[in-house]
Amino acid sequence: MVMTRGRGRGMRGGMMRPMGPGPHFGPKMKQFVPRLPFDMVLCESAFPRVKPAPDESAFTQALLKRNADLSPTPAEQAAVLNLVTKIQAVMDNLIVDPGNFDACQIEEVRQVGSYKKGTMMTGHNVADIVVILKTLPTKEAVEALGKKVCDDLRSQEPQEVLVLTMLPNDRGFEISNSEATVRVLVTTIHQNLRKLDPELHLDQKILQSHLAAIRHSRWFEENAHHSTIKVLIRLLRDLRGRFEGFEPLSPWMLDLLAHYAILNNPSRQALPINSAFRRCLQLLAAGLFLPGSAGISDPCEGGNIRVHTAMTLEQQDLVCLTAQTLLRVLSHGGYKQILGLEGNSSIASEMSVWDGVVVSALEKAYEKPPERPPQDDDTDNMDADDDPMETTDN
Amino acid sequence: YTFEFHTATALPVYMQQTSQPAATVAAVKTTGNTWQTFKKPGTMQGKTQKPKAPPKPQQLHYCDVCKISCAGPQTYREHLEGQKHKKKEAAAKAGPTPSRHGASLRCELCDVTCTGADAYAAHIRGAKHQKVVKLHQKLGKPIPSTDPVVVGGTTKTSTTTAGATVGAKTTTSGAAATTGTLTAADGKKDDLKDDLLDLKEKDVEPVGQEYIEEIKNEEGKVISFNCKLCECRFNDPNAKEMHMKGRRHRLQYKKKVNPELVVEVKPSLRQRKVQEEKLRRQQLREEMWRRREEERLLEEEERWYWEERRRYEEECEYLDWCRRYPRGPPGPPPMMPPGMPRPPFMPGMPPMMPMRRPDSSDDRHVLAKHAEIYPKEEELGAIQKIVSNTEKALKMVSDYLAEVDAPKEQQVKPKAKKEKEDDSKGEDDKKDGEKKEDGPPRMLKGVMRVGILAKGLLLRGDTNVQLVVLCGDKPTRTLLDRVADNLPKQLAVVAMEDKYDIQRVVEEAALVVQNIGEQRISVNVTLTSPIMREQLLHDGDSQVIAAKDPPDVLDKQKCLDALAALRHAKWFQARANGLQSCVMVIRILRDLCQRVPTWGPLNSWAMELMCEKVIASAGQHLSPGDALRRVFEALASGLLLPGSPGLLDPCEKDPIDAASPLSAQEREDITASAQHALRLIAFRQIHKVLGMDPIPPPKFQRGGRFTRKRRRDNSTGEGNDSEGELDGGDGKKDKKEDGEDSKMDMDKETK
Repeated sequence: MVMTRGRGRGMRGGMMRPMGPGPHFGPKMKQFVPRLPFDMVLCESAFPRVKPAPDESAFTQALLKRNADLSPTPAEQAAVLNLVTKIQAVMDNLIVDPGNFDACQIEEVRQVGSYKKGTMMTGHNVADIVVILKTLPTKEAVEALGKKVCDDLRSQEPQEVLVLTMLPNDRGFEISNSEATVRVLVTTIHQNLRKLDPELHLDQKILQSHLAAIRHSRWFEENAHHSTIKVLIRLLRDLRGRFEGFEPLSPWMLDLLAHYAILNNPSRQALPINSAFRRCLQLLAAGLFLPGSAGISDPCEGGNIRVHTAMTLEQQDLVCLTAQTLLRVLSHGGYKQILGLEGNSSIASEMSVWDGVVVSALEKAYEKPPERPPQDDDTDNMDADDDPMETTDN
Repeated sequence: YTFEFHTATALPVYMQQTSQPAATVAAVKTTGNTWQTFKKPGTMQGKTQKPKAPPKPQQLHYCDVCKISCAGPQTYREHLEGQKHKKKEAAAKAGPTPSRHGASLRCELCDVTCTGADAYAAHIRGAKHQKVVKLHQKLGKPIPSTDPVVVGGTTKTSTTTAGATVGAKTTTSGAAATTGTLTAADGKKDDLKDDLLDLKEKDVEPVGQEYIEEIKNEEGKVISFNCKLCECRFNDPNAKEMHMKGRRHRLQYKKKVNPELVVEVKPSLRQRKVQEEKLRRQQLREEMWRRREEERLLEEEERWYWEERRRYEEECEYLDWCRRYPRGPPGPPPMMPPGMPRPPFMPGMPPMMPMRRPDSSDDRHVLAKHAEIYPKEEELGAIQKIVSNTEKALKMVSDYLAEVDAPKEQQVKPKAKKEKEDDSKGEDDKKDGEKKEDGPPRMLKGVMRVGILAKGLLLRGDTNVQLVVLCGDKPTRTLLDRVADNLPKQLAVVAMEDKYDIQRVVEEAALVVQNIGEQRISVNVTLTSPIMREQLLHDGDSQVIAAKDPPDVLDKQKCLDALAALRHAKWFQARANGLQSCVMVIRILRDLCQRVPTWGPLNSWAMELMCEKVIASAGQHLSPGDALRRVFEALASGLLLPGSPGLLDPCEKDPIDAASPLSAQEREDITASAQHALRLIAFRQIHKVLGMDPIPPPKFQRGGRFTRKRRRDNSTGEGNDSEGELDGGDGKKDKKEDGEDSKMDMDKETK
């Protein structure tokens, strides 16, 4: 199921399809070539500037200021680094010498997520660590591991006994002290994945997502270490947090979007932050994450999966219309409200006036298909919904 | 006399190797003891000494097979009928089965096999065993000792002494695979003790304690245990320990917790392996099939792709050809005897013809809408008629004026001559041009189509078209009057049967020709001259030339607009006409601008420019649906918003935004509207954008033959014919004008 999601065929063999969607010879044939939406940056040469670009230094300054506000403080960084280091050490110890700890065996421990990528936000001092077990991840084993790690930490630093807590959850467990939290995400080696029993073990989807998290951070390290990307990711996360319409965008989508907005341009040089931030909104507004768009295909999954297909159609509509409204607000000079330096998030959903220009909010375009009402909101069924639209033939 | 049967649990091969009497072998065969029965371990061993059929019920209704007593004859009968009994009986008939385990202890009395000493002890203590003992005492049956019977597992014992004591029926059976040799050993009690020791010493580390839940009663006392891995319950705390060491539990642990746990090999290992192998092979086979199916699909897809591409190219060729030879007989282009190349009256595509095979739902909607807004044949005919009549009449007016003015103007500047030369080419009659090559310069140098007429953007209901007359000098009121005075006469000559009404609109630097009939069509004829712009292009001289302006020169801006319209038409023919889907999308957008008030302020030149830029910048051919969507994408991403690069007008010397007349609010509203439209398109509601009813998906019916046939039909159909007719003799001229005009413009530009 996962593999077939949003499978296009654009990239195969580097061929360029001369025309949009091909004909469809049967319901099975998914003949549909997603097309990238209009992107001003990619066709700048077709649109020479009539007059020089407006001065955006104030906007750039605001972006940088916002980024500075969002970045974690040195104290926070030190606290989380400290906790991560200790936990990593304990886990490494367990790999080398499990002693009498036999509830599970650890294959590998890796740091992932915003901590690893350097895109953490202040006020959310949580680092993610993925633990790959050689054994199968039963809930008991995970809890036992949590206890063991916690006990070892306590024995190392008796003064921390009181503040250190361990909370098991669906994904693994969390270890927190007063200043920082480390989320330990448990997964298992690939060959164990098919042996899972939903009654006993952690959910397979969760385990897979943890493996994916490792791939993501590896990809990020290799491709997206540029500082502007990190700044942009932080700004986008903040945007997502403040505007409800962006909720459906996952962190991974934001990472890819930021990377795309900054590096996918004719010169292959990183765009400045102000252009890149605007471009994100432009891309979303132009329907990068709408049905029929090639979107961004996931570099960490095979089969050319477009990341945005993880959202339901309704969510895709919502994300797009939010970006469209914000883009208009931005172009009329409302960057302070967008960045949250002034005002509130109502600009995305209510009418606002900028310099005499009335900017109205947009309405949803997505309508649930009447024929198959029960299938609408299910992500899995989204393909079925999606396909007729995208393959354009039924 | 049990021993045959016990030994029979070994492989028949063994039996033959041993020095057992032949009868034993026979017995094995008759009992049909095969490996299949091994799946039910630990039952019915040593059972065979009992008669096969249950004994006749006595007063105490005792079932010997199941070792239970029944309350009365009725229950006893029911018991005999029951599943449980039948099973046991069948098992008894089939003969004893060996334990799967390496070694096990049996309670002969209850016919229960235990995996270890602890388990055995627990059984002996248990209520069930006690009950059976009591029953047997009651019946007066012999009670065997509580010493366990060791079954299998050891390397030593394989046979038993036939005369086992009654007290302890010591029965051992050879373990199947593990027993390498069968030594005719003695089954003594000492051995048995060793076996017990063996069992105890083979102590395994208990695993998975965390998966055994304690179940407590209300008082918090532990009453039983539940193993989550094995999904079993037990009450005895000892049993918990045993369970954790037990094979079943360990297997589950291996399966569910730690795949690396070593669990001792089963006796039936080989069989299991065979089965696993079989399963694995089956999986592999399935995998292979799936892969093959996938490959097949991919291949098919690929084939369709190439097929599609081929057809697409063929279609492009065909279209090209259609555009070039609109009147040619139908048929695929390569076989065509090419006619005279001439551009059609309406450049771009005649409706419904080019995309004979609409692809996506979007495409189908766009094509349908396009067919709806495309003018009818009669409309085009009427417009064509009045336009060509006006053109001819203007030509004659020009001739007339030239004749009248001839004696006066003798001095011919070289530049004027050149222009004249160019102009003459622009005239629709080439002979005329050549004849007058050396004659005096004309006041009216040529007439050209501009606007929707030149661009082929006429829509249904359009009744207003534009012509531009290029004058040799700055057009004046006097000139306008002279033309207006003479034109009716010439029109009467050109079209005797039609009546035309001519009005002067001096402030527009134009005169309007209108036909008199039910369908009022008006042709605006604007006078202008390239000299008007020259003046602008050379700022330095401007005052000098301006000083020379005749007093009644026509409105300068109007004249300049007419010149711009000329350049726009040329640009359009050069850039937009050849671009796939572009003209169609522009027509659709023209309709949108007329239909939706929000879009009204968007002037047509800006719209055309934008469409061309947006569609051309895709870098690939776009189907009509995709092209339209891309235009909305561009607008949605803020093409018209403040801060965007703007639409640089390629037909002006200075950088000018073609959309500059739009106010900030209008830009905002158009953008918002386009943003909503884009999402409507993405979510299958393009019909709302186009203002039409949704088109249901077509019935599935697409053979190559079908489409081919349709194409032929269409190519001979109305669209083509009407185009051809309309084209008349003007095609030539249009084309020539192109070349000439661009040259002219370039001349201006380079100066």
